[in-house]
Amino acid sequence: MKVRILIADDHEVVRRGLVTLLQSHEGWEICGEATDGRAAVEKARELKPDVVIVDIGMPGLNGLAATRQLVQQDPHCKVIVLTITDSDQVIREALDAGARGFVLKSDAARDLIAAVEALQRNRMFFTPRVNDLVLAGFLDHGNGATNAPPRLPRLTPREREVIQLLAEGKSSKEVACVLNLSTKTAETHRSNIMRKLGFHSIRDLVVYAVKNNIIQVQIPSHVSATATGEDPAA
Amino acid sequence: MSWVLLRTNPALQAGFEGFMTVRILIADDHPVVRHGLRTLLGEHLGWEVIAEAADGMEAVEMADRLSPDVVVLDISMPKMHGLEACRLIRENAPSCEILIVTQHDSPQMLQEALLCGARGYVVKANAARDLLAAVDAVSQHRNFAVQLKDGANAG
Repeated sequence: MKVRILIADDHEVVRRGLVTLLQSHEGWEICGEATDGRAAVEKARELKPDVVIVDIGMPGLNGLAATRQLVQQDPHCKVIVLTITDSDQVIREALDAGARGFVLKSDAARDLIAAVEALQRNRMFFTPRVNDLVLAGFLDHGNGATNAPPRLPRLTPREREVIQLLAEGKSSKEVACVLNLSTKTAETHRSNIMRKLGFHSIRDLVVYAVKNNIIQVQIPSHVSATATGEDPAA
Repeated sequence: MSWVLLRTNPALQAGFEGFMTVRILIADDHPVVRHGLRTLLGEHLGWEVIAEAADGMEAVEMADRLSPDVVVLDISMPKMHGLEACRLIRENAPSCEILIVTQHDSPQMLQEALLCGARGYVVKANAARDLLAAVDAVSQHRNFAVQLKDGANAG
């Protein structure tokens, strides 16, 4: 029986690469492609894929929020998260969202086949760094201690969606339109978020969204190198 | 008629100028992106991806050795920054044209790329839309850049 795979990434060049890579594997079929998290959730509902490969940094609804919705929509949905970073926080959020695989984009050509194979056998697939983190968490838990960061104020999945859209520069009216809500409801979400997080401006919210990987910004490497005092050519 | 014969015979080249193979080198540190770029470029008749480089240093070395017509070059790469690689490739092989394909949707970066000798600039998010037109332009030594976020372009 064929393994049906849905790919979600906003860059067509990456989707093309993933399709080429995965289609070469006998018995696997790319049943659909999505260009953002929201489309991924809708297509998964319609196509019922065996595996969904989700990029984290997507517009509108990021990959972590999409994973949450995919798993909520179908608890048997097997999601592999594709990411450019394996920071502790991203790993924790991906696991928390229900991802069963975690692959770095830079290693996708090497790891993605193994990841889909693992999920096919009802196993999980993580990079060595994720395994270390999970093990460390398990050991800490056994010792009654934890290195987990302090918990952030509890936001609902809907509030997280609203944060992403606001941080991407959308107005309450536009948020309402994307999420199919009334403008008043979108405004209520906005004020609840600001109150819960203790923010007074959209600027605070954008900084929060960047720090918490709700949106990803690309900083030209020479700028970040200057900021850290590193050699730009390194 | 073989491409080899066509490539080595100037008289034949004159009649088949429009059909000359464009030899392309792809440089990007993400293999999946290289796969995607190769697939997109491979669909175009008369273009050949001759090699792939995984970092800036490898791109310079390969461009030196293989003399491609076009180098499709990422900016954020290990070992050597893409813009430094761009500058060196243009220095070593002035006939080789550089097309930057990057995630940086920034007019400042575009300007820097042009100063380093790039002939074209494509943002990765739009690569599927712009790549073929861009390679077509730079392979004919024409500039290529579309409107970027805050309004600049290469002209």
